[in-house]
Amino acid sequence: MLISYNWLKRYIKEIPNEEDLANLITFKLCELESVEKLPSGDTVFDLKILPDRAHDLLSHRGVAYEIAGMLGLKISEISNSSEISEIQNQGKTDLQIDIQSPLCRRYIGRIVRGVEVGPSPKWMVDLLESVGQRSINNIVDITNFILFDTGQPIHIFDLDKLENEKIIIRDAKEGERVELLPEKVGDIVKERSFDLKENNLVIADEKDVLALAGVKGGKKAEVGINTKNIIIEVASFDPISIRKTAGMFKIHTDAVKRYENEITPSVCDAVMEETSYLVKEFCPNSKFEESVDIYKIKQEERRVRFETSYICKVLGAEIKDEEIEKILKNYNYNFSHQSDWWEVVVPDKRLDITGGHDMAEEIGRVYGYDRIAPKIPELNFNHKDNEVWTKICLAKEKLISDGYKEVMTYVFTDKGDIEVMASAGGKNFLRTNIIDGLKKSYELNRLNAPLLGIDEIKIFEIGTVFTKDREEIHVAYYDKKNQKEIELEEFISEIIPSNSSEIPKIGEKTYLFNHSVFKLWSSYPFMARDIAVWVPEETDKNILRDLYKEFGGDLLINEPKLFDSFTKNGKTSYAYHLVFQSYNKTLTDDEVNKIMENINKKLSDLNFEIR
Amino acid sequence: MESNTENTEEYKKGSLHPLTLIMNEAVSILKDLGFVVEAGPELENEWYNFDALNVPKDHPARDMQDTFFIKSTSLEDGEQEKKVLRTHTSNTQIRFMENLVKEGGNPPFAIVVPGKVFRNESTDATHEMQFHQIEGLVVGEDISVAHMKGILLEFFKRFFNGEEVDIRLRPSFFPFVEPGFEVDLRRGEKWIELLGAGMVHPNVLKNCGIDGDKYQGFAFGMGLDRLMMMKLRIPDARLSYQGDLRLNQF
Repeated sequence: MLISYNWLKRYIKEIPNEEDLANLITFKLCELESVEKLPSGDTVFDLKILPDRAHDLLSHRGVAYEIAGMLGLKISEISNSSEISEIQNQGKTDLQIDIQSPLCRRYIGRIVRGVEVGPSPKWMVDLLESVGQRSINNIVDITNFILFDTGQPIHIFDLDKLENEKIIIRDAKEGERVELLPEKVGDIVKERSFDLKENNLVIADEKDVLALAGVKGGKKAEVGINTKNIIIEVASFDPISIRKTAGMFKIHTDAVKRYENEITPSVCDAVMEETSYLVKEFCPNSKFEESVDIYKIKQEERRVRFETSYICKVLGAEIKDEEIEKILKNYNYNFSHQSDWWEVVVPDKRLDITGGHDMAEEIGRVYGYDRIAPKIPELNFNHKDNEVWTKICLAKEKLISDGYKEVMTYVFTDKGDIEVMASAGGKNFLRTNIIDGLKKSYELNRLNAPLLGIDEIKIFEIGTVFTKDREEIHVAYYDKKNQKEIELEEFISEIIPSNSSEIPKIGEKTYLFNHSVFKLWSSYPFMARDIAVWVPEETDKNILRDLYKEFGGDLLINEPKLFDSFTKNGKTSYAYHLVFQSYNKTLTDDEVNKIMENINKKLSDLNFEIR
Repeated sequence: MESNTENTEEYKKGSLHPLTLIMNEAVSILKDLGFVVEAGPELENEWYNFDALNVPKDHPARDMQDTFFIKSTSLEDGEQEKKVLRTHTSNTQIRFMENLVKEGGNPPFAIVVPGKVFRNESTDATHEMQFHQIEGLVVGEDISVAHMKGILLEFFKRFFNGEEVDIRLRPSFFPFVEPGFEVDLRRGEKWIELLGAGMVHPNVLKNCGIDGDKYQGFAFGMGLDRLMMMKLRIPDARLSYQGDLRLNQF
């Protein structure tokens, strides 16, 4: 969620500087994806609002109240209340609102006549641009501004395009069609019309669908440059219904994002006042009729009780009553306090707060998690490790002692009994065996055997396979002689004598031998050469090894490997295997031959005979 | 050049995958601190992977993780059972606690769950569709955030043995905890975001039949592949699952 620093400043006069604000947000509120200084001079913070705070923080006002609460700063309200009440006292209305579906919790409509559609004032254009919104016209801009300011989506219809002065909120009829406002992607304008289903909630007049409720406005009552008379909609809808409809048509508007996370219906009237105030400011000659407010499903007042001792017990820190009181006061909580007990009235917009655990968070993060000193608890319980884990450790121990090396392969394959609905990787089935993957692994490693410096590939994997009605843990091992896959249980019963009832306890192997820093291999092909040399019997064979290493240089990828030696007539033959590979390119025969020639030459100089 | 091994005999021996070594090391540190190992299934129903963990149906919180849903199979009675590949090892928390209560047990307990998990997302050097997690869960009468900090700090001290490390908490949200945290680790000068943690949500305890007024505790979960990459300086998470023995350098 993009938050403009200048926008916040409208509400908090003593706002901290940008850097302090960024730290405050990061350690007491949520992750900051970025902070960007704009050419306009404004700074924009990209806040990753936590899902449980999407009820109240997907708005500048929400974030401003939160910052003010964390720091105990004063909020300055913008709207001029005397002007709002003046607006409210204007003329009677014939507007009818007919809510026919329980999915609409509240609907406020208001007719305004004689608006003049035109450009928005600069302050609004600037604020909208800061958060990436292009100014369209004053009326459309007001709807965007209110959404990013209050977090409550609103809609404005052109009254004269309706059949009459009646708004109906109802379920769509099966097959009913709606033409939505076109979507602009760059310069391309995409027309969008949809066939609706009964579970789509719509806003309609007597004849047609005007909008997909809470998702997107329709074309029929679109506000245009010639619009004179309007209906302002401020409404509250069932979040799941909005989410399903938006998902069905793949429309993810800023309005959807807020509605699907649920917003309290109790803010609708205040938002209508704000909206009216802006329309009045931008179109001073417009005439306001009174609002029609149908409030079907009211939000109950919620109270949460908790004890100071509970907060201390959860956080593991001594937090004093005064500290809690200060935090609650700064947030403007309505609360009472008796002995150890606190009772707070949960603000309507804080739909996330349901119990003491939520207050532990509220208090904890403002108090500061850094102030909680780490303590190591005494954990000494008489439980046993899960047998499956112990058996897996045991099986691995057995296999490595038999010279097998562990590999891991993918669970996703091209065929199997269990299919996933969609996979980003394109393989949609789960493996029914390990051995198919192990066979591929064997082939890969066999080709790499010279690189690995081993003659015989012996590999194993222990993992889960998925058959039609169950998942099983299998042990599979693969070498030239044995290719076997059996259930873990069976493997264990083979290695533990049947008369022992107890599974032997073994510790988890944790040795990290050899070097502890990984060396990535080259992605270029390697080349291998064998070289056998006669040397006098008493010669130290390491002379040969060192010579190969010297001439092989960086391209000699492994330690020269002695694979054969025998002595005859006072001479010993040593046969070494040399593997060459570059990290930068594919080696050519010529390059390797040249190294071998140099080696041969040196060997001849030493009077060693090449076989 | 620095040779891979002085002694080819070393390579004739069996060896463990580096992930197994890291997993074993993490598990043994936690066992040393009093945890007991638990295990659970990888193919899971929605109750254990989501609902019991306080992730409601049709809630945006379910979008937080890219889930592999299984094409539903009709059961004999015509019911459709919806299964998923577990997106975290937390399903095992629920199975463990349910079982404990069923057998007449109660907290306190401390479990560690290492295991394979799945996310349906495109892969890159730090993301795989299958990877390994390790999860801890401690519940008792007064298990607190301070204890969580204590255990995690001690864990990292031992895991990066000898290095100077520190941790810090930032507010975060996971439906199964409240308060929820993002835990950053500092090695040397640099802080990195490493794991999610929090105090077990009372609804989660309640869903397993444990009295959330009497008991409380913490849970944490982190990627073992990530720990492996950090500790052994393996540059790409995808190397783990190629069946390539060149990875077995340790």
